[in-house]
Amino acid sequence: MTVSMHSQANRDLRLSARQGLLPARGSGWLAGFGNMLAKEMGEWFRTRRWLWQILIWLTIINGFMALLLFGLPALASIMPELKPTAEAAFAGLPPEIGGVMMYFTIAVMAGTIGAIILAQDEIIQEKQSGTAAWILSKPAARPAFILTKLLSNTIGALVLIVALPGLVTLGEVFLATHQLVPMAPFLAGEGVFLLALFFYLSLVILLGVLFESRGPVLGIAFGVMFGGMVIGSLIPQINYVLPLAMDKIAQVIMLGIPMPAMLVSQLIATAVLSIVFILVALWRFQHIEL
Amino acid sequence: MDTSNSLVIETHNLSKVYKETQALLDLNLTVKEHSIFGFLGPNGAGKSTTIKILLGLIQPSGGQATIFGQDIQRGSVAIRKRAGYLAQEPRYYEHMTARQIIGYTARFFYRGPKDLIEARVQETLELVGLEDKADRPVRGFSGGERQRLGIAQAQVNYPDLLILDEPAASLDPMGRHDVLEVMEKLRQYTTIFYSTHILDDVQRVSDTVAILNKGRLIAEAPISELLAGDGCSAIYEITLKSEGEASLSSARDRVSGQPWVQNLSMAAEDGLFCWQVSVSDDTAAEDLLLRLIIEDRSLKVKHFGRKTYNLEEVFLEIIGKENSK
Repeated sequence: MTVSMHSQANRDLRLSARQGLLPARGSGWLAGFGNMLAKEMGEWFRTRRWLWQILIWLTIINGFMALLLFGLPALASIMPELKPTAEAAFAGLPPEIGGVMMYFTIAVMAGTIGAIILAQDEIIQEKQSGTAAWILSKPAARPAFILTKLLSNTIGALVLIVALPGLVTLGEVFLATHQLVPMAPFLAGEGVFLLALFFYLSLVILLGVLFESRGPVLGIAFGVMFGGMVIGSLIPQINYVLPLAMDKIAQVIMLGIPMPAMLVSQLIATAVLSIVFILVALWRFQHIEL
Repeated sequence: MDTSNSLVIETHNLSKVYKETQALLDLNLTVKEHSIFGFLGPNGAGKSTTIKILLGLIQPSGGQATIFGQDIQRGSVAIRKRAGYLAQEPRYYEHMTARQIIGYTARFFYRGPKDLIEARVQETLELVGLEDKADRPVRGFSGGERQRLGIAQAQVNYPDLLILDEPAASLDPMGRHDVLEVMEKLRQYTTIFYSTHILDDVQRVSDTVAILNKGRLIAEAPISELLAGDGCSAIYEITLKSEGEASLSSARDRVSGQPWVQNLSMAAEDGLFCWQVSVSDDTAAEDLLLRLIIEDRSLKVKHFGRKTYNLEEVFLEIIGKENSK
């Protein structure tokens, strides 16, 4: 005779109810999702990680913006030879637009590198240390494990790499130009920036699932980013499928000019590839031995 | 309710192949409810592989298994809701405290008011004696403290099945004693399936034992049967006092002449003669052996009994036989 699942489940419920505890929610491929997500979000926002990330991104992105918006004009006023450089910085655009254009250039480049570095250890570390095996010996589904890693890093990047530096940039531009940045195109540009980060986060999570060490994860992710730029200049068709000009897409939106077909294709391909990376990561992780 | 015959774990020809290595071959196991099932074998025998397959951490190459009647692959999450697991080398998030680790584990099983979950966490920490270290990061924990934390996190959900992979391996004698005590305490609530190579511990707490060697199950029996010599040849120990050499010699001839007697060895000590009689037919030996000896009234039998083994002897004999095949 085999133990009845039903009677045991009832016993569990009675035991839990006696203590006021209820069985955790979530079953199937989302089992454990809420608990794991809360833990991962805690790693971002209940440790000092958020403070370090704010300092890093405000220094890199907004520090650069401050240099451009306040430092360069101040230097040009005391060093006349810098005046042409200061005037060329915004390429003849209104300063509130030109400033935001520069923001997207620096933010997409630095943010992408940062996202790769931040996420490269997420899966590898858990596999190597044995914590993945520990977690997955509990009622936690493998897809939920991968999705919480992706979602927590995306939310962390959204808040600390995209939203906060973007908000500070708006303030910097206003202080420097006394002009308000048009919000709708700016927010759309921020969406493109987030999509660029999401692409690399998905790629790095997939690579973390596929490989057992950090080398290939970092190598391939940076290879796509920097190698893509080099190859993209030699074979322009690459730009139709890889997110090599996401800053340009944000800038085109900011300028309100029609988007070239290549950039439209790049935007769509980035979203599609991100989803493909996630699906492959979910499928592969289902079969990994821990 | 009599549940003594209920099966918690059943495996049918469970196998695992790693490239060209057969880690597990046609494993057929049955684990009864509320038993403490000792899973023995030398290093590399396939014990941890079996445990990981049962928990869904690795996939079998062949065969099937059920836990609580659920298929281990299709019903893995449902099974894990009712199981607790302690890994051979338990790993946790090193920056988290013991309380955070147990709380995190508990929330995979329960929801409800925060104070109730914290009360359960506290109760669990007290069970393993970690309440005074509950708020320290686990990176500073000793091997024994990690193992106690491992047992705590494994039973935070009042599991119906507790799977422990070498639970006492890294512990000092006191730590081992504590772990075995906790296992005995938990027995009334749960079934315990544990692997170990510490045979004294198995003999102390287990009621059923399985021995695995090179991926094959070579013995599975209640421990009382194994220790009685089942699985090995039965040996009777007899201590005699004899007035003369002739009566001893004729008794020896009578016994040796029986077709079910395989071997008779004798040693003399302090005027007594100690025989060890190896038999192939236990029933015949029980009926006839003593009678054959006391036919001669000049022989005095000081001791007569079937030799009982300790687990180490049984284990070494079974493994030795298997390896010599």
